[in-house]
Amino acid sequence: MAKVSHLAGNEQHSNLDFGFKLFQGMQKDNLGYIYRGMFTQTITDSIISLAETNLETTGESPKVKKRVFSILVECLQNITRHQTEHGDEIKDTDNSGIFVIQKQENSYYITTGNVVQHTAIPKLSSQLEKINSFDPDELKEYYKKILEDGTLSDKGGAGLGLIEMARKSGNKLSYEFAKINDVYSYFYLHAAISKEVDSTPVVIDLENIKNLHQIVNEEEILLVFNGVLNQDSLLSLLSIIEGQIAHDVDMRKRVYSLIVEMLQNIVKHAIKYKENETTIGNPGIFFISSKNDYYTLSTGNYIETIIVDELKSKLDHVNSLVGDELDLFYTKRLLNFEIDNSKEAGLGIIDLRMKSGNKLEYNFYKIDDKVSFFTLQIKI
Amino acid sequence: MDALIIEKTTDTPRIVLDPLNNLYEITDRSLPEDANGFYAPVFQWLTSFLDKPENKIQFSFCLEYFNTASAKQIAKVLLFLEKLSQKSEVKILWKYKKDDTDMQAAGIRYSKLLNVKFELLEV
Repeated sequence: MAKVSHLAGNEQHSNLDFGFKLFQGMQKDNLGYIYRGMFTQTITDSIISLAETNLETTGESPKVKKRVFSILVECLQNITRHQTEHGDEIKDTDNSGIFVIQKQENSYYITTGNVVQHTAIPKLSSQLEKINSFDPDELKEYYKKILEDGTLSDKGGAGLGLIEMARKSGNKLSYEFAKINDVYSYFYLHAAISKEVDSTPVVIDLENIKNLHQIVNEEEILLVFNGVLNQDSLLSLLSIIEGQIAHDVDMRKRVYSLIVEMLQNIVKHAIKYKENETTIGNPGIFFISSKNDYYTLSTGNYIETIIVDELKSKLDHVNSLVGDELDLFYTKRLLNFEIDNSKEAGLGIIDLRMKSGNKLEYNFYKIDDKVSFFTLQIKI
Repeated sequence: MDALIIEKTTDTPRIVLDPLNNLYEITDRSLPEDANGFYAPVFQWLTSFLDKPENKIQFSFCLEYFNTASAKQIAKVLLFLEKLSQKSEVKILWKYKKDDTDMQAAGIRYSKLLNVKFELLEV
Protein backbone atom coordinates (compact mmCIF):
# COMPACT_ATOMS: atom_id res chain seq x y z
CA MET A 1 0.00 0.00 0.00
CA ALA A 2 1.56 3.25 -1.09
CA LYS A 3 1.16 6.63 0.43
CA VAL A 4 0.06 8.93 -2.35
CA SER A 5 0.71 12.20 -0.69
CA HIS A 6 2.48 13.88 2.13
CA LEU A 7 1.45 15.99 5.00
CA ALA A 8 1.05 19.67 5.34
CA GLY A 9 4.00 21.15 7.20
CA ASN A 10 7.28 19.53 8.08
CA GLU A 11 6.55 18.08 11.48
CA GLN A 12 6.40 14.41 12.16
CA HIS A 13 2.81 13.25 12.34
CA SER A 14 3.15 9.69 13.47
CA ASN A 15 -0.38 9.90 14.82
CA LEU A 16 -1.79 9.97 11.31
CA ASP A 17 -0.17 6.67 10.48
CA PHE A 18 -1.30 5.50 13.86
CA GLY A 19 -4.89 6.27 12.81
CA PHE A 20 -4.63 4.09 9.78
CA LYS A 21 -2.94 1.31 11.75
CA LEU A 22 -5.58 1.48 14.42
CA PHE A 23 -8.24 1.21 11.72
CA GLN A 24 -6.52 -1.80 10.21
CA GLY A 25 -6.07 -3.39 13.63
CA MET A 26 -9.69 -2.86 14.48
CA GLN A 27 -10.88 -4.10 11.09
CA LYS A 28 -8.79 -7.23 11.47
CA ASP A 29 -10.60 -8.36 14.57
CA ASN A 30 -13.78 -6.58 13.59
CA LEU A 31 -13.68 -4.39 16.65
CA GLY A 32 -16.64 -2.07 16.90
CA TYR A 33 -15.57 0.43 19.42
CA ILE A 34 -13.39 1.01 22.38
CA TYR A 35 -14.21 3.31 25.20
CA ARG A 36 -11.60 4.14 27.78
CA GLY A 37 -12.17 6.25 30.84
CA MET A 38 -14.45 6.60 33.78
CA PHE A 39 -17.87 5.11 33.32
CA THR A 40 -20.68 7.36 34.50
CA GLN A 41 -24.38 6.76 34.12
CA THR A 42 -24.67 9.21 31.21
CA ILE A 43 -21.74 7.64 29.40
CA THR A 44 -23.08 4.16 30.00
CA ASP A 45 -26.49 5.16 28.62
CA SER A 46 -24.92 6.69 25.53
CA ILE A 47 -22.76 3.63 24.91
CA ILE A 48 -25.90 1.55 25.06
CA SER A 49 -27.74 3.78 22.62
CA LEU A 50 -24.72 3.80 20.31
CA ALA A 51 -24.76 0.02 20.31
CA GLU A 52 -28.49 0.14 19.66
CA THR A 53 -28.00 2.32 16.60
CA ASN A 54 -25.32 0.04 15.29
CA LEU A 55 -27.39 -3.08 15.80
CA GLU A 56 -30.20 -1.34 13.90
CA THR A 57 -28.00 -0.56 10.94
CA THR A 58 -26.76 -4.13 10.70
CA GLY A 59 -30.31 -5.43 10.74
CA GLU A 60 -29.98 -7.99 13.52
CA SER A 61 -33.09 -9.88 14.59
CA PRO A 62 -34.91 -8.55 17.68
CA LYS A 63 -33.91 -11.71 19.54
CA VAL A 64 -30.19 -11.24 18.96
CA LYS A 65 -30.47 -7.53 19.72
CA LYS A 66 -32.12 -8.25 23.03
CA ARG A 67 -29.45 -10.72 24.08
CA VAL A 68 -26.55 -8.49 23.06
CA PHE A 69 -28.24 -5.70 24.89
CA SER A 70 -28.82 -7.36 28.20
CA ILE A 71 -25.22 -8.55 28.35
CA LEU A 72 -24.00 -5.11 27.38
CA VAL A 73 -25.87 -3.66 30.30
CA GLU A 74 -24.50 -6.27 32.74
CA CYS A 75 -20.93 -5.68 31.57
CA LEU A 76 -21.18 -1.92 31.86
CA GLN A 77 -22.78 -2.10 35.28
CA ASN A 78 -20.04 -4.44 36.33
CA ILE A 79 -17.48 -1.78 35.51
CA THR A 80 -19.36 1.11 37.12
CA ARG A 81 -19.81 -0.96 40.26
CA HIS A 82 -16.16 -1.91 40.57
CA GLN A 83 -14.29 1.12 39.32
CA THR A 84 -12.64 2.99 42.15
CA GLU A 85 -10.40 5.94 42.64
CA HIS A 86 -6.92 4.64 43.32
CA GLY A 87 -5.24 7.84 44.33
CA ASP A 88 -1.55 8.27 43.75
CA GLU A 89 -0.67 4.62 43.86
CA ILE A 90 -1.37 4.32 40.19
CA LYS A 91 -0.87 6.58 37.19
CA ASP A 92 -4.03 8.28 35.98
CA THR A 93 -3.54 6.94 32.51
CA ASP A 94 -3.51 3.39 33.83
CA ASN A 95 -6.55 3.89 35.98
CA SER A 96 -9.27 3.68 33.41
CA GLY A 97 -11.68 1.03 32.47
CA ILE A 98 -11.98 -0.18 28.94
CA PHE A 99 -14.96 -1.43 27.05
CA VAL A 100 -14.69 -3.16 23.69
CA ILE A 101 -17.37 -4.59 21.46
CA GLN A 102 -16.66 -6.68 18.40
CA LYS A 103 -18.59 -8.75 15.93
CA GLN A 104 -17.52 -11.85 14.09
CA GLU A 105 -19.41 -13.97 11.60
CA ASN A 106 -22.08 -15.33 13.96
CA SER A 107 -21.22 -13.93 17.36
CA TYR A 108 -20.80 -10.75 19.28
CA TYR A 109 -18.03 -10.31 21.83
CA ILE A 110 -17.92 -7.89 24.68
CA THR A 111 -14.75 -7.33 26.64
CA THR A 112 -14.34 -5.15 29.67
CA GLY A 113 -11.20 -4.32 31.58
CA ASN A 114 -10.89 -2.60 34.90
CA VAL A 115 -8.40 -2.13 37.69
CA VAL A 116 -8.59 -4.44 40.70
CA GLN A 117 -6.35 -5.01 43.70
CA HIS A 118 -4.28 -8.20 43.67
CA THR A 119 -6.06 -9.23 46.82
CA ALA A 120 -9.36 -9.45 44.94
CA ILE A 121 -8.01 -11.88 42.37
CA PRO A 122 -8.44 -15.19 44.25
CA LYS A 123 -12.09 -14.52 45.00
CA LEU A 124 -12.88 -13.36 41.48
CA SER A 125 -11.11 -16.37 39.96
CA SER A 126 -12.90 -18.84 42.15
CA GLN A 127 -16.27 -17.23 41.43
CA LEU A 128 -15.61 -17.37 37.71
CA GLU A 129 -14.30 -20.95 37.85
CA LYS A 130 -17.40 -21.98 39.73
CA ILE A 131 -19.73 -20.26 37.24
CA ASN A 132 -17.89 -21.79 34.31
CA SER A 133 -18.15 -25.29 35.80
CA PHE A 134 -21.96 -25.24 35.78
CA ASP A 135 -24.26 -26.32 33.00
CA PRO A 136 -27.25 -24.02 32.23
CA ASP A 137 -29.58 -25.74 34.72
CA GLU A 138 -27.04 -25.69 37.52
CA LEU A 139 -26.35 -22.06 36.76
CA LYS A 140 -30.04 -21.25 37.14
CA GLU A 141 -30.17 -23.08 40.48
CA TYR A 142 -27.06 -21.32 41.70
CA TYR A 143 -28.53 -17.96 40.69
CA LYS A 144 -31.69 -18.66 42.67
CA LYS A 145 -29.73 -19.84 45.67
CA ILE A 146 -27.64 -16.66 45.79
CA LEU A 147 -30.77 -14.53 45.43
CA GLU A 148 -32.42 -16.37 48.34
CA ASP A 149 -29.34 -16.23 50.55
CA GLY A 150 -29.24 -12.51 49.99
CA THR A 151 -25.54 -12.34 50.76
CA LEU A 152 -24.67 -9.18 48.89
CA SER A 153 -21.19 -7.79 48.83
CA ASP A 154 -20.62 -4.20 49.89
CA LYS A 155 -20.51 -3.28 46.21
CA GLY A 156 -24.05 -4.49 45.82
CA GLY A 157 -23.28 -7.73 44.00
CA ALA A 158 -22.75 -11.35 44.90
CA GLY A 159 -21.29 -12.29 41.61
CA LEU A 160 -24.89 -12.05 40.39
CA GLY A 161 -23.79 -9.87 37.50
CA LEU A 162 -21.24 -12.51 36.48
CA ILE A 163 -23.84 -15.27 36.71
CA GLU A 164 -26.26 -13.23 34.63
CA MET A 165 -23.61 -12.64 31.98
CA ALA A 166 -22.83 -16.34 31.81
CA ARG A 167 -26.52 -17.25 31.66
CA LYS A 168 -27.46 -14.74 28.99
CA SER A 169 -24.45 -15.34 26.80
CA GLY A 170 -24.90 -19.10 26.98
CA ASN A 171 -21.14 -19.48 26.92
CA LYS A 172 -18.26 -19.74 29.35
CA LEU A 173 -16.79 -16.44 30.44
CA SER A 174 -13.14 -15.90 29.58
CA TYR A 175 -11.05 -13.80 31.89
CA GLU A 176 -7.50 -12.74 32.46
CA PHE A 177 -5.48 -10.61 34.83
CA ALA A 178 -2.57 -8.39 33.83
CA LYS A 179 -0.29 -6.98 36.48
CA ILE A 180 0.09 -3.18 36.60
CA ASN A 181 2.23 -2.80 39.73
CA ASP A 182 2.67 -4.38 43.15
CA VAL A 183 -0.86 -3.55 44.21
CA TYR A 184 -3.05 -3.49 41.12
CA SER A 185 -3.92 -5.57 38.11
CA TYR A 186 -6.24 -5.25 35.18
CA PHE A 187 -9.12 -7.64 35.22
CA TYR A 188 -10.30 -8.52 31.71
CA LEU A 189 -13.63 -10.19 31.28
CA HIS A 190 -14.83 -11.44 27.95
CA ALA A 191 -18.32 -12.63 27.04
CA ALA A 192 -19.22 -14.26 23.75
CA ILE A 193 -22.79 -14.13 22.52
CA SER A 194 -23.67 -16.52 19.73
CA LYS A 195 -26.48 -15.43 17.44
CA GLU A 196 -27.85 -18.96 17.29
CA VAL A 197 -28.28 -20.47 20.70
CA ASP A 198 -26.71 -23.82 19.77
CA SER A 199 -23.74 -22.53 17.79
CA THR A 200 -20.38 -22.26 19.47
CA PRO A 201 -18.59 -18.96 18.98
CA VAL A 202 -15.01 -18.85 17.80
CA VAL A 203 -12.72 -18.40 20.75
CA ILE A 204 -11.08 -15.00 20.59
CA ASP A 205 -7.64 -14.41 21.94
CA LEU A 206 -7.63 -11.63 24.53
CA GLU A 207 -4.02 -10.79 23.61
CA ASN A 208 -5.03 -8.34 20.86
CA ILE A 209 -7.38 -6.48 23.18
CA LYS A 210 -4.73 -6.32 25.91
CA ASN A 211 -2.36 -4.81 23.38
CA LEU A 212 -4.96 -2.33 22.23
CA HIS A 213 -5.64 -1.37 25.81
CA GLN A 214 -1.96 -0.62 26.25
CA ILE A 215 -1.95 1.47 23.07
CA VAL A 216 -5.02 3.50 24.01
CA ASN A 217 -3.56 4.05 27.47
CA GLU A 218 -0.24 5.24 26.07
CA GLU A 219 -1.84 7.48 23.48
CA GLU A 220 -4.41 8.60 26.05
CA ILE A 221 -7.22 7.81 23.69
CA LEU A 222 -10.64 8.38 25.16
CA LEU A 223 -12.70 6.65 22.59
CA VAL A 224 -12.39 4.76 19.35
CA PHE A 225 -15.41 4.24 17.21
CA ASN A 226 -15.09 1.96 14.23
CA GLY A 227 -18.28 1.31 12.40
CA VAL A 228 -21.10 2.68 10.40
CA LEU A 229 -21.53 6.40 10.78
CA ASN A 230 -24.90 7.98 10.39
CA GLN A 231 -26.72 10.81 12.11
CA ASP A 232 -27.93 8.55 14.94
CA SER A 233 -24.51 7.16 15.79
CA LEU A 234 -23.15 10.70 15.56
CA LEU A 235 -25.63 11.90 18.16
CA SER A 236 -24.80 9.04 20.55
CA LEU A 237 -21.08 9.69 20.13
CA LEU A 238 -21.62 13.35 20.86
CA SER A 239 -23.36 12.65 24.09
CA ILE A 240 -20.61 10.23 25.20
CA ILE A 241 -17.98 12.83 24.45
CA GLU A 242 -19.90 15.62 26.14
CA GLY A 243 -19.83 13.53 29.29
CA GLN A 244 -16.16 12.73 28.90
CA ILE A 245 -14.59 16.12 28.30
CA ALA A 246 -13.85 17.64 31.64
CA HIS A 247 -13.17 21.14 30.47
CA ASP A 248 -14.76 24.57 30.43
CA VAL A 249 -17.87 25.24 28.34
CA ASP A 250 -15.92 26.96 25.57
CA MET A 251 -13.59 24.00 25.01
CA ARG A 252 -16.48 21.55 25.15
CA LYS A 253 -18.36 23.56 22.55
CA ARG A 254 -15.39 23.75 20.23
CA VAL A 255 -14.75 20.02 20.47
CA TYR A 256 -18.46 19.40 19.95
CA SER A 257 -18.68 21.47 16.79
CA LEU A 258 -15.47 19.99 15.36
CA ILE A 259 -16.81 16.50 15.87
CA VAL A 260 -20.12 17.34 14.20
CA GLU A 261 -18.35 18.67 11.09
CA MET A 262 -15.82 15.83 10.92
CA LEU A 263 -18.41 13.11 11.30
CA GLN A 264 -21.01 14.70 9.04
CA ASN A 265 -18.30 14.88 6.39
CA ILE A 266 -18.04 11.10 6.65
CA VAL A 267 -21.80 10.66 6.61
CA LYS A 268 -22.06 12.81 3.47
CA HIS A 269 -18.91 12.14 1.49
CA ALA A 270 -17.39 8.83 2.47
CA ILE A 271 -17.96 5.70 0.45
CA LYS A 272 -18.33 2.05 1.30
CA TYR A 273 -15.34 -0.15 0.58
CA LYS A 274 -17.47 -2.83 -1.01
CA GLU A 275 -20.15 -1.47 -3.31
CA ASN A 276 -22.70 -4.09 -2.37
CA GLU A 277 -22.67 -3.28 1.33
CA THR A 278 -26.18 -2.54 2.45
CA THR A 279 -25.54 -0.76 5.74
CA ILE A 280 -27.24 2.56 6.35
CA GLY A 281 -24.36 4.99 6.62
CA ASN A 282 -20.68 4.81 5.79
CA PRO A 283 -17.89 2.91 7.51
CA GLY A 284 -15.32 5.02 9.25
CA ILE A 285 -13.16 5.32 12.28
CA PHE A 286 -13.19 8.14 14.75
CA PHE A 287 -10.99 8.54 17.78
CA ILE A 288 -10.28 11.21 20.28
CA SER A 289 -7.26 11.55 22.50
CA SER A 290 -6.30 13.95 25.20
CA LYS A 291 -2.56 14.30 25.53
CA ASN A 292 -0.22 17.08 26.64
CA ASP A 293 -3.05 19.50 27.31
CA TYR A 294 -4.70 19.36 23.93
CA TYR A 295 -7.34 17.22 22.34
CA THR A 296 -6.73 15.48 19.07
CA LEU A 297 -9.66 14.43 16.96
CA SER A 298 -9.03 11.98 14.17
CA THR A 299 -11.18 10.43 11.50
CA GLY A 300 -10.49 7.90 8.80
CA ASN A 301 -12.73 6.82 5.97
CA TYR A 302 -12.79 5.51 2.44
CA ILE A 303 -13.13 7.94 -0.43
CA GLU A 304 -12.94 7.58 -4.19
CA THR A 305 -9.34 7.65 -5.40
CA ILE A 306 -10.46 9.94 -8.22
CA ILE A 307 -11.25 12.81 -5.82
CA VAL A 308 -7.99 12.58 -3.81
CA ASP A 309 -6.17 15.34 -5.71
CA GLU A 310 -9.08 17.71 -5.54
CA LEU A 311 -9.64 17.17 -1.83
CA LYS A 312 -5.92 17.60 -1.20
CA SER A 313 -5.85 20.96 -2.95
CA LYS A 314 -8.94 22.11 -1.03
CA LEU A 315 -7.26 21.22 2.26
CA ASP A 316 -3.96 22.84 1.23
CA HIS A 317 -5.76 26.00 0.24
CA VAL A 318 -7.60 26.25 3.54
CA ASN A 319 -4.34 25.55 5.40
CA SER A 320 -2.60 28.36 3.50
CA LEU A 321 -5.12 30.99 4.67
CA VAL A 322 -4.63 32.98 7.83
CA GLY A 323 -6.70 35.35 9.96
CA ASP A 324 -8.97 37.60 7.89
CA GLU A 325 -8.39 35.58 4.75
CA LEU A 326 -10.09 32.64 6.39
CA ASP A 327 -12.92 34.82 7.54
CA LEU A 328 -13.49 36.26 4.07
CA PHE A 329 -13.36 32.84 2.48
CA TYR A 330 -15.89 31.58 5.01
CA THR A 331 -18.32 34.39 4.18
CA LYS A 332 -17.90 33.84 0.47
CA ARG A 333 -18.69 30.15 0.78
CA LEU A 334 -21.53 30.85 3.23
CA LEU A 335 -23.39 32.79 0.60
CA ASN A 336 -22.94 30.18 -2.10
CA PHE A 337 -26.26 28.37 -2.25
CA GLU A 338 -25.57 26.34 -5.38
CA ILE A 339 -25.61 22.59 -5.12
CA ASP A 340 -22.06 21.99 -4.07
CA ASN A 341 -19.89 20.67 -6.83
CA SER A 342 -17.41 23.48 -6.80
CA LYS A 343 -13.67 23.20 -6.75
CA GLU A 344 -13.45 25.29 -3.60
CA ALA A 345 -13.43 23.92 -0.09
CA GLY A 346 -16.78 23.63 1.60
CA LEU A 347 -17.84 25.50 4.68
CA GLY A 348 -17.22 22.42 6.83
CA ILE A 349 -13.47 22.33 6.11
CA ILE A 350 -13.09 26.08 6.61
CA ASP A 351 -14.97 25.87 9.88
CA LEU A 352 -12.69 23.04 11.11
CA ARG A 353 -9.62 25.14 10.36
CA MET A 354 -11.07 28.23 12.08
CA LYS A 355 -12.34 26.44 15.18
CA SER A 356 -9.21 24.37 15.77
CA GLY A 357 -6.90 27.34 15.26
CA ASN A 358 -4.39 24.91 13.79
CA LYS A 359 -3.60 23.53 10.38
CA LEU A 360 -5.54 20.47 9.32
CA GLU A 361 -3.33 17.40 9.14
CA TYR A 362 -4.23 14.73 6.67
CA ASN A 363 -3.04 11.80 4.69
CA PHE A 364 -4.24 9.55 1.89
CA TYR A 365 -3.51 5.87 1.53
CA LYS A 366 -4.23 4.43 -1.87
CA ILE A 367 -5.90 1.06 -1.62
CA ASP A 368 -6.61 0.56 -5.31
CA ASP A 369 -7.59 2.61 -8.37
CA LYS A 370 -11.09 3.11 -7.07
CA VAL A 371 -10.73 3.41 -3.34
CA SER A 372 -8.41 5.33 -1.02
CA PHE A 373 -8.33 5.78 2.71
CA PHE A 374 -8.37 9.34 4.01
CA THR A 375 -7.26 10.33 7.50
CA LEU A 376 -7.85 13.75 8.97
CA GLN A 377 -6.52 14.98 12.27
CA ILE A 378 -7.31 18.12 14.17
CA LYS A 379 -5.64 19.46 17.27
CA ILE A 380 -7.42 21.78 19.60
CA MET B 1 -51.87 33.03 7.27
CA ASP B 2 -51.56 29.81 9.26
CA ALA B 3 -48.70 29.44 11.67
CA LEU B 4 -45.81 27.06 11.04
CA ILE B 5 -44.57 25.45 14.21
CA ILE B 6 -41.84 22.80 14.23
CA GLU B 7 -40.96 21.32 17.61
CA LYS B 8 -37.31 20.81 18.53
CA THR B 9 -35.52 17.45 18.49
CA THR B 10 -32.00 16.48 19.59
CA ASP B 11 -30.59 17.76 16.34
CA THR B 12 -33.10 20.25 14.97
CA PRO B 13 -34.33 23.59 16.33
CA ARG B 14 -37.76 24.75 17.38
CA ILE B 15 -39.22 27.02 14.73
CA VAL B 16 -42.21 29.27 15.26
CA LEU B 17 -43.63 31.38 12.45
CA ASP B 18 -46.89 32.69 13.85
CA PRO B 19 -48.41 35.92 12.39
CA LEU B 20 -51.49 35.74 14.63
CA ASN B 21 -49.38 36.02 17.79
CA ASN B 22 -46.71 38.08 16.08
CA LEU B 23 -44.04 35.55 17.02
CA TYR B 24 -41.21 34.57 14.72
CA GLU B 25 -38.28 32.62 16.13
CA ILE B 26 -35.70 29.88 15.63
CA THR B 27 -34.26 28.46 18.85
CA ASP B 28 -32.05 25.67 20.33
CA ARG B 29 -29.72 23.49 18.24
CA SER B 30 -29.50 22.91 14.53
CA LEU B 31 -27.32 20.09 13.23
CA PRO B 32 -29.46 18.02 10.89
CA GLU B 33 -27.70 15.79 8.38
CA ASP B 34 -29.94 17.14 5.62
CA ALA B 35 -30.25 20.84 6.40
CA ASN B 36 -31.73 21.61 2.97
CA GLY B 37 -34.56 19.20 3.56
CA PHE B 38 -35.18 20.34 7.10
CA TYR B 39 -35.44 24.04 6.21
CA ALA B 40 -37.46 23.50 2.99
CA PRO B 41 -40.89 23.98 4.70
CA VAL B 42 -39.58 27.20 6.28
CA PHE B 43 -38.76 28.68 2.86
CA GLN B 44 -42.04 27.50 1.47
CA TRP B 45 -43.82 29.32 4.28
CA LEU B 46 -41.70 32.45 3.94
CA THR B 47 -42.32 32.56 0.18
CA SER B 48 -46.09 32.67 0.69
CA PHE B 49 -45.67 35.12 3.54
CA LEU B 50 -43.75 37.48 1.27
CA ASP B 51 -46.92 37.90 -0.82
CA LYS B 52 -48.98 39.29 2.04
CA PRO B 53 -46.76 40.13 4.96
CA GLU B 54 -47.64 41.77 8.25
CA ASN B 55 -46.66 45.41 8.72
CA LYS B 56 -44.26 44.91 11.55
CA ILE B 57 -42.14 41.82 12.19
CA GLN B 58 -39.57 41.00 14.82
CA PHE B 59 -37.69 37.81 13.99
CA SER B 60 -35.61 36.24 16.82
CA PHE B 61 -32.77 33.77 16.67
CA CYS B 62 -31.63 32.19 19.90
CA LEU B 63 -29.35 29.31 19.01
CA GLU B 64 -26.86 27.45 21.15
CA TYR B 65 -25.21 25.66 18.27
CA PHE B 66 -25.54 25.12 14.53
CA ASN B 67 -23.50 23.14 12.02
CA THR B 68 -22.12 24.63 8.81
CA ALA B 69 -24.90 23.13 6.71
CA SER B 70 -27.40 25.00 8.92
CA ALA B 71 -25.25 28.16 8.75
CA LYS B 72 -26.09 28.39 5.04
CA GLN B 73 -29.78 27.87 5.66
CA ILE B 74 -29.78 30.55 8.35
CA ALA B 75 -28.04 32.92 5.93
CA LYS B 76 -30.81 32.16 3.44
CA VAL B 77 -33.52 32.93 6.01
CA LEU B 78 -31.80 36.22 6.82
CA LEU B 79 -31.54 37.22 3.17
CA PHE B 80 -35.25 36.48 2.88
CA LEU B 81 -35.92 38.81 5.77
CA GLU B 82 -33.83 41.49 4.13
CA LYS B 83 -36.02 41.18 1.06
CA LEU B 84 -39.11 41.32 3.25
CA SER B 85 -37.86 44.56 4.80
CA GLN B 86 -38.66 46.33 1.50
CA LYS B 87 -42.35 45.70 2.22
CA SER B 88 -42.57 45.60 6.01
CA GLU B 89 -40.80 46.96 9.02
CA VAL B 90 -38.41 44.13 9.89
CA LYS B 91 -36.18 43.80 12.93
CA ILE B 92 -33.86 40.87 13.52
CA LEU B 93 -32.98 40.02 17.07
CA TRP B 94 -29.94 37.77 17.46
CA LYS B 95 -29.82 36.46 21.02
CA TYR B 96 -26.83 34.65 22.45
CA LYS B 97 -26.05 33.38 25.92
CA LYS B 98 -23.51 35.20 28.06
CA ASP B 99 -19.95 34.00 27.27
CA ASP B 100 -21.07 32.22 24.11
CA THR B 101 -18.46 33.89 21.91
CA ASP B 102 -19.19 31.49 19.10
CA MET B 103 -22.83 32.49 18.69
CA GLN B 104 -21.96 36.13 19.29
CA ALA B 105 -19.37 36.05 16.48
CA ALA B 106 -21.85 34.32 14.18
CA GLY B 107 -24.38 37.10 14.85
CA ILE B 108 -21.81 39.79 14.11
CA ARG B 109 -20.87 38.08 10.87
CA TYR B 110 -24.48 37.88 9.71
CA SER B 111 -25.24 41.46 10.72
CA LYS B 112 -22.40 42.71 8.52
CA LEU B 113 -23.81 40.90 5.51
CA LEU B 114 -27.25 42.44 5.74
CA ASN B 115 -28.87 45.75 5.19
CA VAL B 116 -31.67 45.41 7.70
CA LYS B 117 -32.28 46.39 11.32
CA PHE B 118 -30.26 43.86 13.29
CA GLU B 119 -29.81 43.79 17.05
CA LEU B 120 -27.43 41.56 19.02
CA LEU B 121 -28.64 40.76 22.48
CA GLU B 122 -26.86 38.94 25.30
CA VAL B 123 -29.36 36.93 27.31
